[in-house]
Amino acid sequence: MAAPPSSRELQHMLQRAVQTVEWTYSLFWQLCPQQRILVWGDGYYNGAIKTRKTVQPMEVSAEEASLQRSQQLRELYDALSSGDTNQQQQQARRPSASLSPEDLTESEWFYLMCVSFSFAPGVGLPGRAYAKRQHVWLTGANEVDSKLFTRAILAKSARIQTVVCIPLLDGVVELGTVERVQEDLGFVQHIKSICAEHQQPHQTPKPALSEHSTSSPATASGPRFHSSTVPVPAPYTTIHTSQDNSDQIEEEEEEEEEDDEVDADADAVADSDSDGETVPQSSAPSSGVQNPNSMPQIKTTEPSQLVQLDMSEDIRLGSPEDGSNNWDSDYHLLPHGPNKNQEVQQNRPDLCSSQSTPRWPRIQDPGINHSLEPAPTTSGVPLSENEFAQEDSHFSQTVSTILHHQSSRCSSSSMTGNVTQSIHSAFSKWPATTCDSLAHGNLRGSSSQWTLKYILFTVPFLHASKSGDETSPKSRDAAAISDSASRLRKGTPQEELSANHVLAERRRREKLNERFIILRSLVPFVTKMDKASILGDTIEYVKQLRKKIQELEARFRQMEPDGHPKKNAKEQRSSSNNTAARVQVGQGLDRRKMRIVEDSPTGGGKPKAAVVSPAEGVLQVEVSIIESDALVELQCPHREGLLLDVMQMLRELRVEITAVQSSLCNGFFVAELRAKVKEYANGRRATIMEVKRAINQIIPQYLR
Amino acid sequence: MDNPSSAQEPHLRSENSVSHDCPYPIYAMAVSSAASHHNRRRRNIAVGSFVEDPGNRVDIFSFDEETTSLKPIPTLSFEHPYPPTKLMFQPPNPRSAAELLASSGDYLRIWEVRDSSIEPLSTLNNSKTSEFCAPLTSFDWNDLEPRRIGTSSIDTTCTIWDIEKGAVETQLIAHDKEVYDIAWGEAGVFASVSADGSVRIFDLRDKEHSTIIYESPQPDTPLLRLAWNKQDLRYMATILMDSNKVVILDIRSPTMPVAELEKHQASVNAIAWAPQSSRHICSAGDDGQALIWELPTVAGPNGIDPMSMYLAGTEVNQLQWSAALPDWIAIAFSNKLQMLRV
Repeated sequence: MAAPPSSRELQHMLQRAVQTVEWTYSLFWQLCPQQRILVWGDGYYNGAIKTRKTVQPMEVSAEEASLQRSQQLRELYDALSSGDTNQQQQQARRPSASLSPEDLTESEWFYLMCVSFSFAPGVGLPGRAYAKRQHVWLTGANEVDSKLFTRAILAKSARIQTVVCIPLLDGVVELGTVERVQEDLGFVQHIKSICAEHQQPHQTPKPALSEHSTSSPATASGPRFHSSTVPVPAPYTTIHTSQDNSDQIEEEEEEEEEDDEVDADADAVADSDSDGETVPQSSAPSSGVQNPNSMPQIKTTEPSQLVQLDMSEDIRLGSPEDGSNNWDSDYHLLPHGPNKNQEVQQNRPDLCSSQSTPRWPRIQDPGINHSLEPAPTTSGVPLSENEFAQEDSHFSQTVSTILHHQSSRCSSSSMTGNVTQSIHSAFSKWPATTCDSLAHGNLRGSSSQWTLKYILFTVPFLHASKSGDETSPKSRDAAAISDSASRLRKGTPQEELSANHVLAERRRREKLNERFIILRSLVPFVTKMDKASILGDTIEYVKQLRKKIQELEARFRQMEPDGHPKKNAKEQRSSSNNTAARVQVGQGLDRRKMRIVEDSPTGGGKPKAAVVSPAEGVLQVEVSIIESDALVELQCPHREGLLLDVMQMLRELRVEITAVQSSLCNGFFVAELRAKVKEYANGRRATIMEVKRAINQIIPQYLR
Repeated sequence: MDNPSSAQEPHLRSENSVSHDCPYPIYAMAVSSAASHHNRRRRNIAVGSFVEDPGNRVDIFSFDEETTSLKPIPTLSFEHPYPPTKLMFQPPNPRSAAELLASSGDYLRIWEVRDSSIEPLSTLNNSKTSEFCAPLTSFDWNDLEPRRIGTSSIDTTCTIWDIEKGAVETQLIAHDKEVYDIAWGEAGVFASVSADGSVRIFDLRDKEHSTIIYESPQPDTPLLRLAWNKQDLRYMATILMDSNKVVILDIRSPTMPVAELEKHQASVNAIAWAPQSSRHICSAGDDGQALIWELPTVAGPNGIDPMSMYLAGTEVNQLQWSAALPDWIAIAFSNKLQMLRV
């Protein structure tokens, strides 16, 4: 486990964090970009130690010792998971100072087992903290249901009572202690500041992370980390539903009180649920910890199965792709525990036997099915209150009013809560095999939602134009639309006319955008990427060019009297022609010149500026995206394969290059790429910032 | 679409559905919440024409559950300037003698449905400054406070009317862009969707604030329709422009949809929650399908499948699933009104 320097930083940070607060352990969950899951990054164990083993002389500082301990634990995990079942072989291969399972305390065991966990964003405590970008504080971790806290059973045996997850830019820091600690914002701030300290001077643990991503560090670690819009449907939880739009301060104030709720919840859950669940499961890690003799039992379990067990638990909790376990997760207070337990127990045996069966609770399972039904009055109201305690108070009030009313409404009417399909139903059963869901692109069909759009977009303006308000541009526009629409409409079926109309409108827009992009590429110093700025800057640019022409002509005229007065008129014309032509043809070169002209305080398009070599030019990345059209302009030191790398990276961002213009001069690379921006599967497109960031990651920053 | 495909013919005759061809395309539709005086199993259904000139009309049909028949009631027909963007009968109200029908378009209009005629009761104009009010995209009648109707308008506002007084109760600038739909959740709480791509919840007790509970993934993709689950007010559903998705939201978990129903083959046009169950929702779209979904507790890896489907054969534009007729779903496509047994 030779730690690279950057992960050393990480370890230092974790060490400082956990030591200053005197908690049991600290972990760093880092995002593994390929799989989009949080995996063990590093950790520091600061808790009780049972047997110390060392090859070094006894005088080791306590700090060194526990740093060593963390490493030894990690080594032990690696050894266990590498599949050594033979004790002898193990001993032979590993240095004598290595720990064996029986040397561990329960909390060390907890720490060690954490290595095997991974969390998708939104799942588990770290996942939730990551997805919501907000810390999650769990007290009574050893008492809660494993749905709430995936490692609850481990925590129980280790008596880890409090666990806090704090999201950092590219992962989650987790701290845990065997003490019961109520939520403390100061604590969170403190940890954050330690992390910030370590992030500032050195470039965070980030470089270490990119080791994880083998193929494309740029795309993986660059744009994705910061984007909170990644479609990770976080299951909502009873512990924290932190909302982006809620008032931060208010929320935090109220978290105190919410915490109590969590405890209450936890107890309730523990009563109904986890009792049944712990029995079969605890045979694995917890009993093993308590009784060293039973260790062989664990070791005979193939490590891959150990991991599998954890994994399947995660899957049972819901995986990020479907975002649907939500229906389930906030209902664990409902008295359908028995069924749940049954299912868990059913699943248990094959957890160990079969390795790859995905464990989706069957949808038809009658036990869970009713959980969408309105909550009973009794639990409905308190649930709503604690759910929103941390929300913006106004909204939470609104919501609780709604739900309060809801429960009274529901209790008054006896609801079966079911749509029973009669045998005479006009609806036929959904053929499960057919119809894959559509790709989004296909939906922009010309006639998509024609009637609905007409009702919403056009009909109102018919009224507006009727109302005699003809001068307003909107109504005129609408009148035009309705005119053309009704012209088209005569005798033609609905679809065709809408097709024509919508298509024409779309083509016009596309053409417009395309030309804006071209314009933008012609103008060297566009400040912002919206259309108005492009036009504004273009105007400015044309003015400058005109001025330049005038200056040049004036200078030319001054020279004329000395030289050849006869040719005056003719020369003048051709010179202005030349300038214009040059502006068009050599725009790439001109642009750089212009930038420099802009920068230099003397300005004014002096010939001196024009001879600046591109090699001295500045590093520059300009990205503009207007709807689906993109333009990327790039100026940077060259390296081998740079253009290809850029193009590949853009492709990964679903930016499809349509045209490239590039040149290389004195080791300086200049490129201009036109592209179409495609949508991701979730209908989102890459943003300017994402593209820029990705490019900045792969281009060389300095001339070599 | 004037001649339906022959495959559909059996449907039209059988007792599980009935359809009626109107002489014009239709869009707006409403199911009366009051049973007819003569026959408890008869309901009125109002249908608004969709013709692109000022001359539009609203027709009333009588639907008989027992005989599965749809009969136009010619005496109850009335003219409407431009297509109504929405029609709605008043919520069940034992106090009122005659049933009221509201329509939106240029104004919010209230009509009184009598035995043999429909009379305009009031025309509500929310603009104080001019005699014209900003056109309305939709409205919703508050079923707990039947005096209240909320309208959504292209001028970014929502207006709350007290229709008994015929006065504006309040007007809120609700969104940054046109408001396309509005739905009541509580006597004083409503939600709206807009061209700005957001779903916002308003509480009339505190008009200064609204809460965004969802924003379309691509900024500014308009949200067109909104349906609040009346059986379980935690959930609402919305649809996006040019999208085959039905997005299910939980008001307690803003910004994160709890589910997305994506099995339509083309864009979705209309959604309606089941009136008798909290877990069922029906959606209809350009793929000509009406799908009934049962929201599962946990989705399979391939997303959520609908429970059942009906194939209309052409773009379904309108969908109503009324508490007055919980066993029937009304759909409208091209010039057809169709009642489908669930």
